[in-house]
Amino acid sequence: MMKMIRLIAWREYMENVQTKGFWLTVMIFPVIFIAMFFLTTALNNATPTRYYLLIDQSGQYEQAVATAIAREHQRRIMQEFVGYLLENRKDTNLELMAANARSTTDQFIDDVDADQFAALDAFLNDGGLDFALTMARPYLKDNAPPFEQPKQQFIEATLPSQVDVNGSPQEIIAALRPYLTGDREISAGDESGSLFALILIPADVDQDISRPGAIPQTPDTTKGIQYWARNLTDSRLPDAIGNSINNVIREREYVSLGVNTQLVRNVQRTRMPLNQLDPTAEAGEEAVSMADTLRQFAPMGFVYLMFISLMQSVQYLLANTIEEKSNRIIEVLLASVTPHELMMGKLLGIGMAGLTTIGAWLLSFYLFITLYDNNQTELISQILEVILGSELIPWFVFYYFAGYALYSGIFLAIGSLCDTLKEAQGLMMPMILIQIVPIASMFFVVLDPNNTIVRAMSWFPLFTPYIMMNRAAADPPMIDVIGTTITLLLSILLVLWLSGKVFKLGVLRTGQPPKMLELLRMLRSKI
Amino acid sequence: MENSVLSMHNVVKRFGEFTAVDEISFSIPKGSIYGFLGPNGAGKTTTIRMILEIIKPTSGEISVLGHASALDVRNRIGYLPEEKGLYKKMKVWAIIQYFARLKGMDKKAAKDQAWLLLEKYGLKDFAESKVEALSKGMSQKVQVLSAVAHEPELVILDEPFTGLDPVNQTVLEELITGMAENGQTVIFSTHVMQHAERLCDRILLIAKGRKIFDGTVAEAKATIPRRVTIETADDIKDLHAIAGVNEIVQLAADPSADSTVAQWQLQISEQVNPQDILRTCFDRGINLNRFEFTEPSLHDVFVHLVGDDAREHEFR
Ligand SMILES: Nc1ncnc2c1ncn2[C@@H]1O[C@H](COP(=O)(O)OP(=O)(O)O)[C@@H](O)[C@H]1O
Ligand SMILES: [Mg+2]
Repeated sequence: MMKMIRLIAWREYMENVQTKGFWLTVMIFPVIFIAMFFLTTALNNATPTRYYLLIDQSGQYEQAVATAIAREHQRRIMQEFVGYLLENRKDTNLELMAANARSTTDQFIDDVDADQFAALDAFLNDGGLDFALTMARPYLKDNAPPFEQPKQQFIEATLPSQVDVNGSPQEIIAALRPYLTGDREISAGDESGSLFALILIPADVDQDISRPGAIPQTPDTTKGIQYWARNLTDSRLPDAIGNSINNVIREREYVSLGVNTQLVRNVQRTRMPLNQLDPTAEAGEEAVSMADTLRQFAPMGFVYLMFISLMQSVQYLLANTIEEKSNRIIEVLLASVTPHELMMGKLLGIGMAGLTTIGAWLLSFYLFITLYDNNQTELISQILEVILGSELIPWFVFYYFAGYALYSGIFLAIGSLCDTLKEAQGLMMPMILIQIVPIASMFFVVLDPNNTIVRAMSWFPLFTPYIMMNRAAADPPMIDVIGTTITLLLSILLVLWLSGKVFKLGVLRTGQPPKMLELLRMLRSKI
Repeated sequence: MENSVLSMHNVVKRFGEFTAVDEISFSIPKGSIYGFLGPNGAGKTTTIRMILEIIKPTSGEISVLGHASALDVRNRIGYLPEEKGLYKKMKVWAIIQYFARLKGMDKKAAKDQAWLLLEKYGLKDFAESKVEALSKGMSQKVQVLSAVAHEPELVILDEPFTGLDPVNQTVLEELITGMAENGQTVIFSTHVMQHAERLCDRILLIAKGRKIFDGTVAEAKATIPRRVTIETADDIKDLHAIAGVNEIVQLAADPSADSTVAQWQLQISEQVNPQDILRTCFDRGINLNRFEFTEPSLHDVFVHLVGDDAREHEFR
């Protein structure tokens, strides 16, 4: 009996593995992943140089804008430097957290993570990149490549000669509009390009300063600083300029009010650390590390993997069963093996094909991060290490098999009732829609894994594999784990038993899929 | 029966209200070629499926190779279903090997057997092709081979000749007689009487789910009167005197023919030698334009036994 099941399983497996569709599915994920990887890296590096023009008719804020732009550049340097540190430090340990940081680099990384602005102040105060490099040197790997500074991104363009700096704002805008809309290129040194932004500060801008307690005025776009740019999504420049100019005028206010500005600045830089702690962790390990965060979100990846793989498998199961049915090979098979053996063989063979897909994905992922070394991939491999080292893997294995048994049993029964894939599609649809529910609520479940609705959903057997996997990292209550496992296993037995019956009766019938009533009769009949 | 390979006793199969097989009983001796004959919808396929226990009879007993259930002896049975089909993506030799292995042959033996059969039946050049590359007739041949590759004691072929060209029909007939000589029992169903007439030791005639006849082909033919047809211008009253001539009827004259010539059909008993009639005509000076004695065909037998029902079904 086992021999027959093996034989059938092996044939199903080989037939699947030899189809183009199978390899397409196997290839598509690594290809998409790698493409996305390179694309994001490329996009990061590809942000073009942006030319801006500053026309300060008030003559007061030119310095502030320059500072803002310089600061923004320093912020980018700092951020890229953090990335560089993460990739190149000697003993990388994602389990580190602020509380147990062992080196100044770790401290630095954590500070940047906690409050970028405060960290930038500290960074600049300490002496910027040069200091950071010196500080980090002992913690870097011996073979670490030198740090490459990002290019200056915002560059001031030369004012076209026909523009009168002292003209009215309307005239200036009219003269520069073709540059701003991209119809004309503006020059900057020996380069040229489109004008990214124009910052126009009218002569009487100080009249527009708003103070608390003043009578609210109707919004007026001609008041204040004018920031002209076609790109509305990149808010770094206007934010930086706004902050910087506000700092200047606030400082002026302090002076006019007789307040010590140095004191104010010190007060502004005071901060209270905020630690995220995990009540379920053991004493001394309550602090939330990067690895903890990763582990909390990792189940989403597993749920997704499970969904994709299950969908692929059941699709094959359905197609193969329908082929056998429409070819009537099924009759020869049933004269040679029992329906039970046939069903088990199919489930096994196609299950193996599914595992092969997952295996191929993991392998290509692994090959990618090992072959394409010394880069951001280093970080990915550390992330992977954390995930593989977590207790999520056994959960995944269990729920994968459980989900497979449950869903494939149902799809096998559907396949046995239909003569063509088209007929099957109608019956498949509700089953696919049902799975959309746990997939769509994936993120919500991770954020609040033990909430009442989520707990209730876990008990619905068709959801159990997905939702419980999703909750796996959050130590769900014992009652949920044991209870849902029992209902899940019972439902699997029930589904396999019933679908065995439907399969046996269904595979020999021809014509339209049965109506509900006939189906019920099938389930009740004794064979 | 002592050496019965298969026997059915009062087997009934109903699908809902409809009775597809109605109280059928018969028994098949070992080593024979046995034909299930009947028009479409007679219940042949249903009977075969019950033998194989693909479906269960509503009532009645079936014994296959001495067992109550075909499932116990399924490795000793070979089956070709009525609707033909194979896995399209598999190689020809592999599919024969696969079905043989499902019948318990080991891997190596099944493979050798597959190649042997393909060579023997002229399909060696296609052995490495995929099934989808074969013509319909060829793939049907492959399917027959995959049904018998494990050399089963009992071979059941449902409409094996349908869809084959005359050359391959002959090849299949040879395969069937070969298996019988080898001691294997072959059952096949057909609605084409000629194959049965040439091949079968025994036949089961069914129509509308009922057994009409069960026995040897000679016995079947004996159930209908033998006939001699003569054509003459002379008086034939002397022929009535011959013992064993039961009845003489004039056949409707062919309008285009010479009106002085008449056609007569004589019904004769089993023991009468047609030569005696010829001699009598000669002795009495009856000049014959035509003298014809034909053995009844199974088709005649069928029409005779089933009567109007058979005509209603119209053989296809
Ligand atoms: N599964 C079934 N459900 C309902 N009726 C059936 C089924 N199988 C066969 N029949 C009916 O039983 C009768 C006999 O069919 P079948 O055994 O296929 O005839 P044959 O093989 O002699 O042509 C037909 O009228 C057919 O419609
Ligand atoms: Mg039939």
